[in-house]
Formats: sequence, structure tokens, C-alpha cells
Amino acid sequence: MYDMNRVENAVSQTDIKIAARGVQVYYGDKHALKDVDVDILDKTVTAFIGPSGCGKSTFLRCINRMNDTIPIARVEGKIALDGEDIYDRRVDPVQLRAKIGMVFQKPNPFPKSIYDNVAYGPRIHGLSRNRAELDEIVEKALRGAALWNEVKDRLQEPGTGLSGGQQQRLCIARAVATAPEVLLMDEPCSALDPIATGQVEELIDQLREQFSVVIVTHSMQQAARVSQKTAFFHLGNLVEYGETDDIFTKPQDSRTEAYISGRIG
Amino acid sequence: MTDMPMSNPVSGATKGTLMQPDARTRRRNAAEKRFRIYGATAIGIAVLALVVLLFTIFRDGSGAFRQTYLAIPVELNAQVLDPKGNRDPGEMSKVLTLGYGKVLDAAVEATVARENIQIEGLTEAEIKGLISKDASAQVRSRVLADPELVGQTIEVDVLANGRVDGYFKGRVTLASAERDNNTSPQQLMLADELRDRGLMVTRFNWHFLSNPDASDQRPEAAGVGVAILGSLYMMLVVLFLAVPIGVAASIYLEEFAPKNRWTDVIEVNISNLAAVPSIVFGILGLAAFINFAGLPQSAPIVGGLVLTLMTLPTIIISTRAALKAVPPSIRDAALGVGASKMQSVFHHVLPLAMPGILTGTIIGLAQALGETAPLLLIGMVAFVKNFPASPPEGLFDPASALPVQIYNWTQRSDPAFIERASGAIIVLLIFLFCMNLLAIYLRRKFERRW
Repeated sequence: MYDMNRVENAVSQTDIKIAARGVQVYYGDKHALKDVDVDILDKTVTAFIGPSGCGKSTFLRCINRMNDTIPIARVEGKIALDGEDIYDRRVDPVQLRAKIGMVFQKPNPFPKSIYDNVAYGPRIHGLSRNRAELDEIVEKALRGAALWNEVKDRLQEPGTGLSGGQQQRLCIARAVATAPEVLLMDEPCSALDPIATGQVEELIDQLREQFSVVIVTHSMQQAARVSQKTAFFHLGNLVEYGETDDIFTKPQDSRTEAYISGRIG
Repeated sequence: MTDMPMSNPVSGATKGTLMQPDARTRRRNAAEKRFRIYGATAIGIAVLALVVLLFTIFRDGSGAFRQTYLAIPVELNAQVLDPKGNRDPGEMSKVLTLGYGKVLDAAVEATVARENIQIEGLTEAEIKGLISKDASAQVRSRVLADPELVGQTIEVDVLANGRVDGYFKGRVTLASAERDNNTSPQQLMLADELRDRGLMVTRFNWHFLSNPDASDQRPEAAGVGVAILGSLYMMLVVLFLAVPIGVAASIYLEEFAPKNRWTDVIEVNISNLAAVPSIVFGILGLAAFINFAGLPQSAPIVGGLVLTLMTLPTIIISTRAALKAVPPSIRDAALGVGASKMQSVFHHVLPLAMPGILTGTIIGLAQALGETAPLLLIGMVAFVKNFPASPPEGLFDPASALPVQIYNWTQRSDPAFIERASGAIIVLLIFLFCMNLLAIYLRRKFERRW
């Protein structure tokens, strides 16, 4: 289980969960992300918006070092989680990803039972001592993802048999089950219909009480609905970062204004 | 309907009725129709070829599974078979098949005399020649196994001569016997008489599957026993070497290896190896395993090693294709919950790739099972009469292999061996068919949606 004391200490000292300084990302020759500085607050939903190819997903994948899996990607700069640089040589990305959960654009449940999908993370991290504890973690995670009532009678059925929205909530449950400190969501609703999107958005609002949520979205309405902080990316630059209300009502930068009014993107 | 002039929005297209296709549509439809006919013809030709192939093989080869036997009482003369009279198997083994031949000759002649068969011009040699030259070895091994039989009269089913057997299967006729030095119409008439009396019967021949090869003179005794065992041993070697090496190599190359010039070179060379003619692997095996490493000739271990080299590229290519087909989202999902690279591969990617890996492996094994050319070069074409011992020692004993045995038999002059060769082809085809069935079954069983 993750260390509650440390999180609480961190919060009491400062609300900053993740601090990024001078982050540069190169894909081969392509300079995908240029000198990004940003502070992500704890127990807050932060939305990354911007047109396609602006670097918002790239930055998201830097936070849990998923870019490590792309051979040509190179990351420079510092990203600190609770003051510890996650790109330090001593940091094991596998351990890091247990603390920073991720939900992907397309629902990608494992082709296993619903139960095994959620139990996989706790199992590999040894979060439970016995079956009863594991059952408890799975139930808690599924409740946390607002899926428990729909699947409690068919936990042994394949996760791939659920509807798209249910699958995405299953993926959220899977990420929540490892008790992360930050949850990264890469356009989690882009493959979902409006009703499922509404459910997931409601869920995001609840998850904020437990940890920091970072969501990449194409939909400005969604960013406005779910987030407290918004960052606008454009052509690899972080153009503007601030309170969501401010970004959408009185943007400081002309590019932000152009984007939210639909003139670029 | 009145023909109203209408402005046409698409320039060049002419206004027409939908009830009649225009020239362009007609041409396209005709092209499509032609293509369908080509396709159906191609499939028809393929099916016809397959039917003809199977028909000829079964027509020629089914005879190998039936064999003619002569049931006669044999008096095991103690004076001939155990001159010292002490029933010691060691002493008795000094009496060779020649001695048993005499005993059998007497038994056949006695049977013909007892049944009172009179045929004009039937010579003594033709009566003796009724049974297989292998019959004496048959009786000898039975007596050596049980020395107490000496002195008694036992009922034995001895193999009939290949020509007599061929006569009952329609391969030999009275007319062809006229011109044949190895048989005569009189001998065949005698065989007819014996059959009418129920002494000579043609029945299912399990010995074809269990007997070793036999010499040119006795096709009736030849079987595929040693060849099946040799092929089985080689498949064991391939299974235990090619599958782990191939699958491990593919997993490493596909999932772990850095993508750089070296892995590109390796990848290209694996593809090239898959296209290398199999006989080249035979030369490699001869040079590396027999001449350099000093492994014995004709041994299944060498055959297995050569076939392993040959099968590896097939297994690696199909395994990599199966791994590539697993959606990357599954890998991301596993890494996203904090699984290590190895956990993501072994917990998620490998189970999903399993049906493809198994199919590729079995297809590779089936290919190896039917491979002939490299085995010729490492001496597996030798005439092997003794069964290899059980593994692991048996892997170093000389053995044959099914496809080589087929090749070997087609080289022999006696037409009875054509029947044997076709019979062996049927055995080989049945094995291949079973392996493919297994591949399909495993694919169905492990296939999962994602």
C-alpha cells in the first residue's frame, strides 16, 4: 500500500504534486515538446488541451515515463513527483508506474475476466496477502470506478465483453486498484458515446478527492466541465496554464483565444 | 414518358435509363464475371489435382496394408534345429535361417502333399518358393524365444511370397507370371488351390507398421517400423531444440532487442535462411555434425539437428508475426499498471500470441517431418534393419525416416515396393494430417478476442 503519511506531508508542505521544469522531448529529429514548465496540484483535475500533434499526449506520457518504451524518444529536463526527479538514474520506471496510473484513449482491458483485470496490478505489486484482501481491493476499485453494481454478478466474465463505456471504467478501476497517487488519462472519452462520457466525467470528479488527475482531451467542453486547471499546448509549446475558468473566459494569449473560439485546431 | 431535356450536372456522363446498364457498367460487370470464373477454375484445378493425387496414392498404397499369409503346420525337427539336443538358446542360435529354411520347405511340401493338390508341371522349387524368404527368419526368432518348441509341430502363419501376394491383390496375373523368372502360372494356380482350402488368406497387415525394412528379395516383409521410429526421434529432437530456441529468439528480437543495424541484419538473415534450399542444410549437417563433431551417420540426432536448423527460421518468423499481431494497447495497459517489460510479455502478450506460435510451430514440425533431401546427405538413406534403442541412447543408433524410406523404396526394382512406397506415403500423409488437425484444434482452443 502506498504511504499515506508521505502524501499527507507533501500536501501539508505544498500542494504541488508534480513539478516539471524545462521538459524537452525529441522523437528522432522532431522536437515534439519545447521547454515545458508546469506545476500540477494534488487533488485537482488538470486538463491538457490543444490541437492534434501539439504535444499534450507526449507530455502526459512523460509523467509516467511511458515514452521510455518508444526507442527514438528522448526526454530532457526535470519532472519531480513530490520533489523527487522521476528521470533520475536511480528511479525504476516500473515502480514509478505503480504510483502514477494511466488510462488510455481506447479502452484496453486485458482479455481476461473482469476480476483478473482489476486484480492484476495488486497481484504483481503484492498489495494483498490473501484472497479476501484481494477481493476487497477489487470491490473497492470497481466501486471507485462506479462499475461495481453493473458487474458484481459477473466478475468472472471476460472484461472484453463489456460495452465501450464499461470497458473504459474497468480500465479506470484497474488503474485505481494499485492505489496510485496520480492518475493520467489520455483522451479517455474519445471512443465513448455521450452517456458513457457523462459517467466517466462524473467519475473523474469523484476521483479528484483521492488523488491528482491529469486528463488530455480534445473537447474543450469536457475540459471546462471536469477540470480546475487547464494547460493549453500549441506546436510543442505550453502556451498558457491557469485556472480553467480564466483560460476559457479571459485567455491571456492570442493563440489560446483563437483555439477556444474555434479559429485554430 | 416524355423525353424532357435536362441539364446534366456531371459533364461527360450521358443521361440514360436505369433499366439498362450502360456500356461502361457492362464492361465492369463482364470483367468481374471473368475474374470469378478464373478463380473458380483455379480452385477447380487445385481440387482436381488433390483428388487425383489422393486417389492414385490410395489405389497403389492400400495394398501395403493387406498381406497374404500361409497357415501351415511346421514340424520343428530337433536334429536340424538343435543338433546338440540341450535346448540352449546360445547353442541354437548357431543354426542360421538356412536350417529353418529346410524345415519350412519340408513343411510346405508336406502340406501340398497332404492336401493332395495335383498341378501339371509344378516343380519342387515352385512349391518351396510359395512362401517368403523371410519366413525362415520369422520361425527362427519364434523358436529362439521359446526353445521348448523344438521337436514339436507348431501352427504358423508364414508370409507368402511377394508374387503370390501380388497375385491376390491383382498386381500379378497368370499372363505376367508366364514371363516372370520369379514365379510361374503353376505356382499361382497352387496358391489358388490353397486359398480355396482356406490355408492361404489375405488379411490386414499390422506388420507393415511395425516391421523394419527388408531386402530387395522380400518386399512382402518390408515395413515402416524403423522409419516411423526414426522420424519420431527426429521430431523429438526438433521439438526440444527448435521450439525453445525459436520462441525465445523471437520474443527477444520482437520485444526486447534494441532496433538497430545489428538486429536488422539478423532479421534479414533469418528471412534468407528460411529460403535456403533444404539440401544445403544437409551439406551443412554433414560438414558440421558428422565430419567435424564426429556424430554417427544415419543417426536421428544428426537428422534432428539438421531439421532443427531448417525449422528454426520458420518458427521464428511465424512466432514474430504472432507477437506483432498482439495489439500494442495490451502492452501499454500492462506497463501502465506498473508491470515490468517481462511481466507484460509473459502475462499478456505471449498468451495472446500462443495460437499463432503453436500453429507456426506445428507447421514447421510438419515441414520437417516431410523433409527428405538433407537426410539423404547425412546417411539416413542407409538400409536399416535394426530398431534403434529407446532415447536418449537410441538417438545415436542408425535409423531411417519416413520420407527417405519412401524415396528408398521407389528406387527398387520389384514392383511390390511401389505398393510399399505408396503405403508409406499414406502413413506419412496421415501423420501430417493429424499434425494439421492438432494445429487447428490448438488455434481454436487458445484463440481469444480482445
